[in-house]
Amino acid sequence: MLDYLARRLVGTIPVLLAVSAFSFLFVHLLPGDPARLVAGPDATPADVEAVRQAMGLDKPLIVQYLHYLYDLAHLNLGRSIKTQQTVAELIGQRFMPTFWLTVVSMAWSLVVGVALGVLSGVKRGRWQDQGSMVLAISGLSFPNFWLGLLLIDLFSVRLGWLPTGGYSGWRSLIMPSFTLGVAVAAVMARFTRSAFVEVTAEDYVRTARAKGLREHVVVWKHTLRNALIPVITLAGLQFGFLLGGAIVVETVFAWPGLGRLLVDSVSYRDYPVIQAEILLFSFEFVMINLVVDLLYAVVNPEIRLR
Amino acid sequence: MFRAFASLLLAAAVVLGQPVRAYANDLVVALTADVLGLDPADLNDNISQSATRLMFDGLYRLDHDMKLVPDLATSYEANEDATEFTFHLRKGVMFQDGTPFNAQAVKFSFDRAGNPANHLKRQSLFSMVAHTDVVDDYTVRVVLKYPFGAFVNDIAHPGAQIVSPKSVQQYGKDVARHPAGTGRYELVSWSADTLVMKKNPNYWAGAPKIDTITYRAIPEDGSRMAMLMAGEAQFIYPVPPQLVPTIAHDPRIVVFDKPSIFAVYVALNNMRKPFTDVRVRQALNYAVDKQAFIKVVYNGYADPMDSPEPALMDFYKKQGNYSYDPEKAKQLLAEAGYPSGFDDTLTGVNSTLPVRGMEFIQQQLGAVGIRLKVEELEAGVLTAKEFNVQKPSDATITMLYGGWSSSTGDADWALRPLLATSAFPPVLSNLAWYSNPIADKGIQDGLATTDPAKRAAAYATVQAQVWKDAPWIFLAVPHNLAAYAKGLTGAYVRPDAQFDLDPDATLN
Repeated sequence: MLDYLARRLVGTIPVLLAVSAFSFLFVHLLPGDPARLVAGPDATPADVEAVRQAMGLDKPLIVQYLHYLYDLAHLNLGRSIKTQQTVAELIGQRFMPTFWLTVVSMAWSLVVGVALGVLSGVKRGRWQDQGSMVLAISGLSFPNFWLGLLLIDLFSVRLGWLPTGGYSGWRSLIMPSFTLGVAVAAVMARFTRSAFVEVTAEDYVRTARAKGLREHVVVWKHTLRNALIPVITLAGLQFGFLLGGAIVVETVFAWPGLGRLLVDSVSYRDYPVIQAEILLFSFEFVMINLVVDLLYAVVNPEIRLR
Repeated sequence: MFRAFASLLLAAAVVLGQPVRAYANDLVVALTADVLGLDPADLNDNISQSATRLMFDGLYRLDHDMKLVPDLATSYEANEDATEFTFHLRKGVMFQDGTPFNAQAVKFSFDRAGNPANHLKRQSLFSMVAHTDVVDDYTVRVVLKYPFGAFVNDIAHPGAQIVSPKSVQQYGKDVARHPAGTGRYELVSWSADTLVMKKNPNYWAGAPKIDTITYRAIPEDGSRMAMLMAGEAQFIYPVPPQLVPTIAHDPRIVVFDKPSIFAVYVALNNMRKPFTDVRVRQALNYAVDKQAFIKVVYNGYADPMDSPEPALMDFYKKQGNYSYDPEKAKQLLAEAGYPSGFDDTLTGVNSTLPVRGMEFIQQQLGAVGIRLKVEELEAGVLTAKEFNVQKPSDATITMLYGGWSSSTGDADWALRPLLATSAFPPVLSNLAWYSNPIADKGIQDGLATTDPAKRAAAYATVQAQVWKDAPWIFLAVPHNLAAYAKGLTGAYVRPDAQFDLDPDATLN
């Protein structure tokens, strides 16, 4: 087991190296001249040149990449072109808001989504199933910026119960995490249902019923456990996506998260920040995949990790 | 014990039951984006400058009508040919870090901002400066390399604000996060999207009345409005034109609606057919209904352009207008040899208002036979396309939907970067590739003197010539739209689109 973990962790290094090269090339291939953008619309060529030198963009690309790798090896992510802050500090400020938003959204949407999915799967074709699926489809189809604005209008403007936005304690988390979680809950419900229905058709479930096991044992032990494998995979993916920041929800609720930082950085061509975020997201996905693999073994002891 | 518990419960009830409201003397301002830095010489965005305006002072500044008023200087003298400017400084002023303000500090700030080796974004404000000399503790003389009649306006720009020499020596590059100016407010804290300032009790013109000011970055228009309505913010900017009606009747809210100095126009490539012919350029001006343009794009919150520079700029002179006359447009096109119009591409940035504007122009020009393709580009891609040129024939844009706001408030920076032959990209933003000897001479004459009458005459010539030559489709000068809580006085949006506050502003 420990051996397995160690091998997986070492395996992340080439992945991250490849990602660093890819993200470096990607940002430098973006059309547009960052020096010109940073210098502003009424800059003179001297201003632009000053910015270019300050950013180190006057050097050949390969030299810039080697510099970047050298700094990376020393755990130095550089400084933001836009704010002059160190990238580590900038991302540090934005990581916790995104982390909390992700954790709370995932927590409630997983519980609700899986519960609705199981309910649908068990009561297939009946009103519980139809009701749950109507809810799920609505949750998926409802644009979340609209839902967010409706919530703000009701709970902040009319009732005055919750702050309109910002990252300031648990009360400010309620509306954003609800808004963000709705679509996740909907996807989880649909997915759990179909996985559940698929497993229900398996021979071993029929066998379980045939040998006279009680219904709740069949549902919870034989069916759900097996149905959970794809559900965990999906939950891991969703978790990774949310950790990458939720641009729309962050914008509507003025949430200082990683998604907005990425969009702002791309439109400003803030190379070091874009590169660091891509690297961070890749690292998060690698870690999440590892945790998902570990969870497989927990849910289904037949799966051995080698 | 019980009482402690009860008061805890009570406190919890109060905290949970109350909407978050600021204290009476704390002003929350909701703007669109984060403050990027607080080093005046290294900024070019309106939001960061809205912050440095409160924390720093310049020798002069522009008031809310863009008129020049003394700030850290009390007066100045200049020689007739605009190459030497002597400033008399205010006495008894302290920087927020305790350093005294004097001529040495001014020299330090100007030398630092203008030194190319420092790579600061506003070095071009000082590109004409030969040297800055300390005459005595409270007199400083700036000697220029060449005449520059707009120099006092130039240093009224926030980029020329005076920083504490000690703070720069102490913090180096990090001075952008450790500001020390002489201004009305000083920095308290600055996290990702929130900047808090408190009043400077030692401010030289008397401590301000509002205790703290908080800038919040709220990118979404609807969320900013909600903050104002919920009492979480007392001033929001901008308010998009189409949302004004939703708050116009709220008795707790006042809508702020004042003209800007932002000119919106279509730059026609004057070196490309068919725009080499002045009749074609004039025809396009007659073909667009500016009043309808203002209604469609700005919901009526704009004024038609009636000169190449907006009305609030120095030396502005009204030129009349190209009234809407599609018949005359068709006639001019026919005379120029395009009786059945032509095909062309209108390029601009891919955000809401420009796209709406471009589609409107497409429709209007379609009515006189000009078939336009609208090309919407991301800002970075557009900038590259505009400036990756070395000579006029490299230009790939033939019609550019764009705009300009002159941050110094002077006619020079409103006309020269856009219309002088010396301002062809990539040097500056003459994206119409307009070149006219009379306009060039006027622009040069305007800088060659400090005599206001001579400057006015020079810029009057430029404006008349440009208006006649019509290198652009002259469109509109939009208003700055903001909104604030009724109890707030003395807060406003400057014509240059920056938030600002009178020293005696109050909040009830």
